Amino acid sequence: MPPRIRGGSCQPQLLLNFLEPLPSSSLSPSAALAIPLHRPTASSSSSSSSSSQCSRAFSTTPAPQASRLRRKFKEWCENNAPLFREPNEGGRTNYVSRILKTSDFNDVTPDQPFPNNPHFRSEKVLSERAREKIWETVMEKGMPLKAVSAQYHVDMRRVAAVVRMKQIEKRWERENKPMALPYARAIVDMLPRANLTIHEKPFESINDIHVHSYTTQQLFVPASESREFTRADAAKAFGDRILPPDAKMRIPELVEMEKEIAGGMDPHTARAGFVKRAAQSEHDFAAKQKARLQAAEARRTRVDTGRFEFRFEKFNAEDVGPTGRSRSAVGWRYGMPLMDRKRGAVKIPTSVE
Amino acid sequence: MVVKIRLARFGRTNSPFYNIVVAHARTARNNRPLEVIGTYDPIPKKDTYDNSGRLHKDIKLDMTRAKYWIGVGAQPTDTMWRLLSMVGILPPKYRPAASSTPTPSANASPQADQA
Repeated sequence: MPPRIRGGSCQPQLLLNFLEPLPSSSLSPSAALAIPLHRPTASSSSSSSSSSQCSRAFSTTPAPQASRLRRKFKEWCENNAPLFREPNEGGRTNYVSRILKTSDFNDVTPDQPFPNNPHFRSEKVLSERAREKIWETVMEKGMPLKAVSAQYHVDMRRVAAVVRMKQIEKRWERENKPMALPYARAIVDMLPRANLTIHEKPFESINDIHVHSYTTQQLFVPASESREFTRADAAKAFGDRILPPDAKMRIPELVEMEKEIAGGMDPHTARAGFVKRAAQSEHDFAAKQKARLQAAEARRTRVDTGRFEFRFEKFNAEDVGPTGRSRSAVGWRYGMPLMDRKRGAVKIPTSVE
Repeated sequence: MVVKIRLARFGRTNSPFYNIVVAHARTARNNRPLEVIGTYDPIPKKDTYDNSGRLHKDIKLDMTRAKYWIGVGAQPTDTMWRLLSMVGILPPKYRPAASSTPTPSANASPQADQA
């Protein structure tokens, strides 16, 4: 068991300082014994009593000298500390890459927090003002999420997340719940921010589509000259279940709007049409979700026994298939291995209930 | 041979999960049954965004098959009888003792109506 060092009473450095005036030859055991280490004195009786509990009173090893590099590092830290004490004003970053360069040839950009890692870039985050703006546009003006996403060039999922978080924040304000605002402010002040003004660059791309691996192959498909070969035909050529890009993108209404503008329609009219179509598509989606929930509810019988509510869901037992092993079958299956404890399988739940 | 509607325990230690099965009475609990007509998760759960603390239990049941098997003489176990009586497939076997004697709340409600 290693010796325990209690409090500050048994610091080797202090003891070494105490020993310093003695010549080196006095480090022999007989001379060391002559030092009144353990004799209680009137002035420091409490400290000496606690030092006597130490199993090893002092070390004769000289303290390691700080290396040249370490000394220079300390010097550098002391000289440059004032630069990094406060974050920069106006949404600019204050990373160490501001003054540090890996070499004279490679420039380090200001969005690179670690000068040696050019692949780590700190991306812009939405400022408080930008998030408030998004919330107002959605909740007060009642614009559809797709239109807000297209207006500010912020991904639809991010718009939805901002609105959800803002709603919670406003509810907490009403309920007088404490919020860690100084902490949030300190973190945001250190990061590059986007205010979503007209002069800024687009925040992020909003209409990216997932590239299915089937569509990366080279195909030779004979098509007659008289027939129009569309994106939908191309998707069908790649595979039966491959969707055309128009069906895969998040805001296909934008494509329609651009087509209308290219066809000579007034941009304002085209935009109004786009907002209308976006609102309609969101309305349809909500109606579909509602219908799905209602259908699920219709399959369910609720019986309240006072203590628990028993929810009986109807299902068709004949879905098990001819062998009884269909994946859509209900319950634990017979004669099938269970993968839930298999090594190497990811067991992180995909949904939180 | 007697055909029973009963539960077959699956799941893990301390996390039971039951298949509602139709099986011959003399077969082992987890043998392959004649038919799986549902599942019963006995662990009470909360709704995701519900803060009221109400708990529910999820049961999946093929009502048509359950009625069929009852019709041809399958015998439910006591637990299954209780579950099947909740959805009205069988009459309740064990009634709560409180309902036979008039409770204070039952007495109070007619008085409230008169007043």
